Amino acid sequence: MYSTNYHRASSVADAVKLLKKADDGKFVSGGMTLIPAMKTRLAAPSDLVDLRHVPELKGVKISGKTVTIGAATTHAEVAANAKLASVCPAICNLAAHIGDPHVRHMGTIGGSVANNDPAADYPAALLALGATIVTNKREIAADKFFTGLFETALKDDEVITAVTFTAPAKCGYAKFPNPASRYAMTGVFVAKAKDGVRVAVTGAGEDGVFRSKEIEAALSKKFDASALEGVSVSAGTLMSDIHANAEYRANLVVVMAKRAVASANG
Amino acid sequence: MVETAARELGVSPAELRRKNFIREFPYQTPVIMAYDAGDYETSLEAAMKEADYAGFEKRREKAKKQGKLRGIGMSCYIEACGIAPSAAVGSLGAGVGLWESAEVRVNAVGTIEVLTGSHSHGQGHETTFSQIVADRFGVPIDSVSIVHGDTDKVQMGMGTYGSRSGAVGMSAVVKALDKVEAKAKKIAAHLMEADEGDIVIENGELKVAGTDKSVPWFQLALAAYTAHNLPDGMEPGLKEGAFYDPTNFTFPAGCYICEVEVDPDTGETEIVQFVAADDFGNIINPMIVEGQVHGGIAQGIGQALLEGAHYDPASGQLLTASYMDYTMPRADDLPSFKVSTSNTPCPGNPLGIKGCGEAGAIGSPPAVINAITNAIGNNDLAMPATAQKVWSALKAATKH
Repeated sequence: MYSTNYHRASSVADAVKLLKKADDGKFVSGGMTLIPAMKTRLAAPSDLVDLRHVPELKGVKISGKTVTIGAATTHAEVAANAKLASVCPAICNLAAHIGDPHVRHMGTIGGSVANNDPAADYPAALLALGATIVTNKREIAADKFFTGLFETALKDDEVITAVTFTAPAKCGYAKFPNPASRYAMTGVFVAKAKDGVRVAVTGAGEDGVFRSKEIEAALSKKFDASALEGVSVSAGTLMSDIHANAEYRANLVVVMAKRAVASANG
Repeated sequence: MVETAARELGVSPAELRRKNFIREFPYQTPVIMAYDAGDYETSLEAAMKEADYAGFEKRREKAKKQGKLRGIGMSCYIEACGIAPSAAVGSLGAGVGLWESAEVRVNAVGTIEVLTGSHSHGQGHETTFSQIVADRFGVPIDSVSIVHGDTDKVQMGMGTYGSRSGAVGMSAVVKALDKVEAKAKKIAAHLMEADEGDIVIENGELKVAGTDKSVPWFQLALAAYTAHNLPDGMEPGLKEGAFYDPTNFTFPAGCYICEVEVDPDTGETEIVQFVAADDFGNIINPMIVEGQVHGGIAQGIGQALLEGAHYDPASGQLLTASYMDYTMPRADDLPSFKVSTSNTPCPGNPLGIKGCGEAGAIGSPPAVINAITNAIGNNDLAMPATAQKVWSALKAATKH
């Protein structure tokens, strides 16, 4: 790791100011990806601007079915939020299975979403929930936000402040963890809301998180695992690596979708 | 191979193994090794009983109702370890001799230091080596210290590998202890004006058998160093060294049984039962032996299910260079193990012990793979049997 200057931002405006002053600065939240990347010298920012202690970025707000999760909320806080569990248990369950306890107490939803790791759990949830990513400049629909592997619609000095979504009638998540890293080798989030069924897949796509039209079509007819019997998804745009080839991942998409639906239906 | 033969012949894998067990010893194999002792059937019986082998079909039916494919697999291994007679390894082209060394230093206050060429990096030599010393002289175990790994102190030795520290390293200690004991008895006999052959060592004392005469161990040690009253011509001190060159390998053997449930949707394997029945000859410390077996099985299961090194074919770059990609077995990958031991003492070394360090890693991979192939009905499965490989093999099997 090369030396770097650490700044603890007191507000979002302060964070942006600190970043602009820096030579080659980076926002850091939980640092669960950035710090390891710095340790292996894959990243070497001159300055780190820490967002984790900005009060306006913290906490979960629930008003009716509208859920707003502050960007600096840790996975552990999401997992343990009883009020959130009463309107959208699947998101708590997802957060409870990210990484290990250390990661869950450091990593944040904003950091995970901004990093858009192709095997991260949250992007699948936000895409399937039709969430909105709120930044210091604008509001971005999840459909427009996740643009590719580790790529998002965020500008350099743009800070995610919160994610917000309307809790659907039913939703569920199932993942098949990579045996080594325990990231999602394939994870599927299904949501049944007023405007239809949305299904998002993480860990499997060549370009990161994506919606599965085949699964959405089947589940729109009947929101039940039985609706997915005989359904297959194309392996064409799926990832192949040393752990799983595209064909196996295509199978996992369907199997995880079945499990996610079963969990959504309780 | 034996499993496949049994399946193709339509006979029980256990019975095919039983039929082919060697029952007369010594048994000269065509390739150097001469098996000195063993009772393979006892291990087989013990493992089958512990695993409730007979009740497997019922469990398979029950698993099927829950959508899981259950399989059982067995392996009977014989290992050649406790390496090794120097001349034998020389004939195989080795550049070294595989003896081991020990020095036993009795200090003037009776405490004992053992310098061994056999290094301990977690195998517990400090405990087991101390035990044989404490047992021999009846002294408290905490008066014995084991010195290893410090090349400024320890004489030339050959090291820890090939399940040799017990069988070879401890045998060298025993040889040195024999010399110390012989000298101690000579001194004791001289001090108590008795015949050397009448001296016995009991509870930390050297006694004249059948009398109430005795010298405490620490007093004898002091006498050896003050040298005021030693037998004529005897050198002062009580310190002896020995080298032990084994006359044969040792041949631990055992039977391992693994039972798995495969999820046909994903190819995931869960080990639901794992039984290990080993014959390690005499055992110095059962808990340490059990720990060695546990570690070996964990390593073997890692090899069978998880660990694979991958290189980029284009650049030769190692792709599994960190634990983000290389799958080490973790606690939640492993079941609880049911381990037991039986004992046919090894005739080749003074303690009658066989190596146990590698056994777990030798017996477990075939048992795991036999269980998976039994579950999915396809013998064509390479290690590590990852979920994807099992899923593909299952698909190939159901196509036929």
